[in-house]
Amino acid sequence: MTAAIEKIAGSGQSVKPMPDDYFTHVAGVGSIPRDIYKYVKSNPLGDLPRYSAHIVFQHILIFTTFIALSATGIPLHYNDAFWAPHVIWIFGGIDMAQVIHRIAAYIMIGASVYHILTIAGGTIKKIVKKEFDIRRTQVPLPKDLFDLIHDIKYFLGRAPFRPKMEKFMYKQKLHYLAILWGSFVLIFAGLALLYPEYVALLWPFNPSFVQDLARIMHADEAIMALIVVALWHLSNVHLVPGRFPAQWTVFTGKITREHQLEEHFLEYVRNLAEIPEEREYMRSVLAEMGYAEKEGESG
Amino acid sequence: MKRKYLLIAVIVLLIPSLWLSGFSKAQAADPENCLMCHKYPFMGRIAEDGLRRNYHVDEHLFLNSLHGDVECRGCHTYIKKFPHEPVTETVNCANECHIKPPFAEKNFSHRKIIEVFNSSDHAVKADDSPLMKESKPDCKYCHLNPLYKIADEKNIDYEKTLDRCLNCHKKKGVTEAYLHMTHRLRHKTSRSSQEIVSLCARNCHGNVPLMEKLGATGRDLEVVATYKESIHGKMTALGSEKAADCISCHASSLIHDIYEKDNPKSSIHEDNLQAICKNCHAKINQHFVKIAVHPRIKVPHHPVLFVMSNLVLKAILYGTVFGLMGLLFLETYRRKKDGIHMTLKAGSSWRIQDKGK
Repeated sequence: MTAAIEKIAGSGQSVKPMPDDYFTHVAGVGSIPRDIYKYVKSNPLGDLPRYSAHIVFQHILIFTTFIALSATGIPLHYNDAFWAPHVIWIFGGIDMAQVIHRIAAYIMIGASVYHILTIAGGTIKKIVKKEFDIRRTQVPLPKDLFDLIHDIKYFLGRAPFRPKMEKFMYKQKLHYLAILWGSFVLIFAGLALLYPEYVALLWPFNPSFVQDLARIMHADEAIMALIVVALWHLSNVHLVPGRFPAQWTVFTGKITREHQLEEHFLEYVRNLAEIPEEREYMRSVLAEMGYAEKEGESG
Repeated sequence: MKRKYLLIAVIVLLIPSLWLSGFSKAQAADPENCLMCHKYPFMGRIAEDGLRRNYHVDEHLFLNSLHGDVECRGCHTYIKKFPHEPVTETVNCANECHIKPPFAEKNFSHRKIIEVFNSSDHAVKADDSPLMKESKPDCKYCHLNPLYKIADEKNIDYEKTLDRCLNCHKKKGVTEAYLHMTHRLRHKTSRSSQEIVSLCARNCHGNVPLMEKLGATGRDLEVVATYKESIHGKMTALGSEKAADCISCHASSLIHDIYEKDNPKSSIHEDNLQAICKNCHAKINQHFVKIAVHPRIKVPHHPVLFVMSNLVLKAILYGTVFGLMGLLFLETYRRKKDGIHMTLKAGSSWRIQDKGK
């Protein structure tokens, strides 16, 4: 076994002691080493299911309206910047930009409602079928915090491998929660700005405060969303090594095998149970490395 | 046969030239031939104060101005003989000029609107300080021809515009004429909201040192800054034709009746606020007028808003962005060190298999 680990751990340099959980034994497949993602073949368009067609469609709706909303909203916020009038000119003037902003906002609200219905429906269906597993959802769990600490250790060279993570890792859960909060703020602040009459009707005590708060929150949340999406989300999914120049999950809803194994290892183990072809593939890879389960080794 | 072609050629060439000749007016409204002298570009003199004064009138510019149909002495009434004496008087816009508006028996005059202006806060009062007198606007401060620009027809509110016409014209007649003409006019001119804000701000309300000298205090010094902070101001800054500019709220359809807000005649007096807001916001209640049109978010006005916008939200923004980007760079650094390549080629981003073989 030690010789085999040396072979995997790489090119005959310093051999570090392997952690206890280096191998994950999957019945009927074999012992999967943690860094197996370096040794599998992947299709750039994706190998394993990750998002349903509903989620892919919702994401397309959200990002197209997000672009329209940013392009019509940010110039209004920074209206004294030299580029603002030029951006607004593209939309045929600020009065048309305003109309586009409102239409896009309603589409985005619709997509958000559609998403909530999809998630609620899917969750109910899984509960009824007794397939529901909170570890496969976006709900933050203590494990995510430990995964983050483990991952930072790996980044700093203090841990040899990345943590074994679920379908949604800490980054995605953080981003999802941020989107939930951001959408809530943007939608309600935006509605307050769009319908000041109703603000005065529903909160007659100090509508001015609500209005000013709505404007601060709407602009601030929008700028934050734009910066996070443009800088972090886009580089995270498309520009980092292994994903460059683009990750096709956005349209195919599928994730590559090496990505699933690296960042969502526990979900991959579930994939093995659910997808016979994947089990076959992994067996063949492990057989080549000498880690495949012998026939009749386990039940 | 050849003659026939020649005839057609002449007609084809003649029609556009006839059409083109219609583009310029033949002559200025100058029956007394003032332009005989004033047409010369360098006509002028060194005045008593040592400054060089130019008396040239560009015929083309004058013709294309709103007053192009008014003869010179329609406004410059103090000129009685030719050649005339040095001019000491200024033009009084309340004069009657020799133009009869449609459906009217009397000569046209701006007198009515000037009376409105003279009762407003912008009129020069006897007890004003010299600086105040100098700072207050005259007709020409706002009313210059280049201010008018072509407006989009669908953005013109006919009712509102007609109200403005009736400031000077008689209701009978002009209403019919206006309704008859408006749907035929191709190009309508209107002053843009941007220009109105710029006029109010440029030399006076946005000039804080001057406003301080004139005795303005507190929020009166911030009116332009706070307007620009508002959604009306932001829309106007980008050329909106719908958003409220200064006079949308601070004057009625008389435009010139601008008073401070404590004056019951003022359109922004608390009794009149609902009416003025209703011009654009149809479904309002009595609490709607509490919403600040000149919001003060950037200055410490409301402690919660101030702390929110300047401290809490900024901390969250910078914390999130730098935290996430830091993590991303750290992650990329380690994964690169671990052997990952930029692109997924031949089935893998790691390419360790090939090395091993």
